[in-house]
Amino acid sequence: MTSEQDLVVATVRDVLAGFEPFALTAERPWDAGLWAALADAGLTGVGLPEEAGGSGGELADAVAVVRTLAAGAAAVPVAEQLLVAGPALLAADLDLPDPARPCSVAVDGVVHAEPVDDGDGPGRWRLTGTATDVAWAGVASSVAVLAAAPAGIEGAVLALVDATGLASSDARNLAGEPRGSLVLAGAPASGALLTPARVAGLRARYALARAVQLAAALEQVLAWTVQYAGERQQFGRPLGRFQAVQMELAEMAGEVSAVTALTDAAVQTLARGEDVVLAAAAAKVRAGSAVEVVARLAHQVHGAIGFTQEHRLHHLTRRCWSWRDEAGSELTWARVLGVGLLAGGGDDLWPALTRVV
Amino acid sequence: MSSSLTLAPAPPSEAAEVVRAQVREFLAAELAAGSFTTHVDTWLSGVDPAFSRKLGERGWLGMTWPREYGGHERSAMERYAVTEELLAAGAPVAAHWIADRQSGPNLLRYGTEAQRREILPRIAAGECFFVIGMSEPDSGSDLASIRTRAARNADGDWMVTGAKVWTSNAHASHYGIVLVRTTPADPADRHAGLSQLLVDLSLPGITVNPIRILDGGHHFNEVVFDDVVVPGDMLLGEEGAGWHQVTAELAFERSGPERFLSTYPLLAEFGRRACDSGDSAQLATLGRLSARLLALRQLSLRIAAALDRGELPDIPAALVKDVGTTFEADVIDEVRRVVDVVPSLDSPDPLGRALAEAQLHAPGYTLRGGTNEILRGIVARGLGLR
Repeated sequence: MTSEQDLVVATVRDVLAGFEPFALTAERPWDAGLWAALADAGLTGVGLPEEAGGSGGELADAVAVVRTLAAGAAAVPVAEQLLVAGPALLAADLDLPDPARPCSVAVDGVVHAEPVDDGDGPGRWRLTGTATDVAWAGVASSVAVLAAAPAGIEGAVLALVDATGLASSDARNLAGEPRGSLVLAGAPASGALLTPARVAGLRARYALARAVQLAAALEQVLAWTVQYAGERQQFGRPLGRFQAVQMELAEMAGEVSAVTALTDAAVQTLARGEDVVLAAAAAKVRAGSAVEVVARLAHQVHGAIGFTQEHRLHHLTRRCWSWRDEAGSELTWARVLGVGLLAGGGDDLWPALTRVV
Repeated sequence: MSSSLTLAPAPPSEAAEVVRAQVREFLAAELAAGSFTTHVDTWLSGVDPAFSRKLGERGWLGMTWPREYGGHERSAMERYAVTEELLAAGAPVAAHWIADRQSGPNLLRYGTEAQRREILPRIAAGECFFVIGMSEPDSGSDLASIRTRAARNADGDWMVTGAKVWTSNAHASHYGIVLVRTTPADPADRHAGLSQLLVDLSLPGITVNPIRILDGGHHFNEVVFDDVVVPGDMLLGEEGAGWHQVTAELAFERSGPERFLSTYPLLAEFGRRACDSGDSAQLATLGRLSARLLALRQLSLRIAAALDRGELPDIPAALVKDVGTTFEADVIDEVRRVVDVVPSLDSPDPLGRALAEAQLHAPGYTLRGGTNEILRGIVARGLGLR
């Protein structure tokens, strides 16, 4: 991390310090106050160019914002906006919505796009269908929706839908983060046709965004667990003095280091503008598979208190248990990676592996 | 995370990619010519001095050492690419592996000028092979408890008595760097009084007894020292500083790609199977295993980059070896679960053979170079727990 990103991290932490994570409910599905504070500080536009209405900065800066907020269990759609929807809209030459108003992304479900001439110029579409598993449905003011292109046209349409007033179902993930469906009944939207490669790239970005969040959350879970093991006394000494506990913490550290190393490398691949599909797939699968070990051992070391909503641990472990299968399940991305690595044939596996990141 | 565990990402190295392509071309030609066949865990079992000499001729041994000692002054990142390609191809690299990986760097750090001039160029040429002289029959993980003794005689030479064990390829090597006790053990400071000696394995009084591993292969030995007279100038480094020197040596020993690629030839064979079958479960398993391998590569590359910066990252190296060797063994069972295959060294199916080789070598992965329990202890220290 450069000093630039250190500064970004410090700024986000300053804002974050004024807000405590809380158990999300249908009544309080996100942290609107935190979002407003982040938006006031220009942090909801980091990594998006100023001429497009963003705050400027590089991908690394946006990743630093997302990591810091993920580690803080911040209930705001920043990963979706800064790492997925924003860059995807820009890449498709579409206008960015105001970064102060949360924008999410929808890549699942059955939605069809038909071109319309509604008097708002070219690039207008009408979207019909149901977008499912929409992160922050009901919270996001706008959603970048990936919709099937009209019959006979390759690729898909990315369209920015105004989500205010749209019906959304109340589904939530294991941490209570909104993941409902959006019903689109001929919603008008500006959009652009994406090639299949760009569609794959968009899905990969989304997966990488979740991997980045997972990496940060797992690092924090490890830090909390090491801290707890150093403080909690049993049999007259701290838990961390017991070899059995040390072995567990070392195993967690191994997993977390592996996740961070691969996720960082995948982010760098994206920053270099290279094809990121296999890198993102690998990062997502590796981060997801670490959750099993890290979350399990974190709860084991924390004991019963970590199993309660009184303790902070669940804010991150519940998120990790969901994030690992969001933006494409672990199984989906494992297959993408397996198929992609064999694209050049069974004898090409090793060269393919050395090309991924 | 604790800073002692975290290393900066490795910057991309174009030079490494250039030499990688050269090694790949060389290996393809050697395979085509039938000069070797691919096997699992060849850095233990693939002894082929002629192959080692070929690598030496191409400048792929002693790569990072100064030219004046026969080295090539290339980066650790370039060396990483070379070693990784050799391991992935399952090439016979065991003869020179220890000398190139750790004995040479140890001599560079601690050797006398005469020792360096005499030995390093021969290692770099692929003509001089080394063994590790650390473990003993009664001293495995508890290395400080070794009992092999060395005492100066009237001529100033060292009289060495004791035994080393699990000594890979001692029957095919020229020298050992042997950890000995040069002053009696002090219970208050167990790490004091240890020294390293550079021992010519052809000296009178040295007996090499084979120890066969599970597949019947002869790689391990017991090396017995019976009043062996080691010339006085064969002390390596400082008398009494053996523990410190061994710790540095282990950082080299623990950080390389051989700590996660020992079973790569099995994964490669599995990849061919998954490609042929198109089976969805096999493809997903290949994806999962590949994601683990890719993460390990990044961790190991970070260590190579740290070595290039002149650091000696012993704690991250312990972590990589723990995660990496666990992966090596996991490949076996992950593959078994999704392929109908019976492991046998005699199998007509190359996947069955690779599986058999990997399985029969598996107990060693998480033992050699420091057991994973010891490694996790080191990581726990890095986390501030001990």
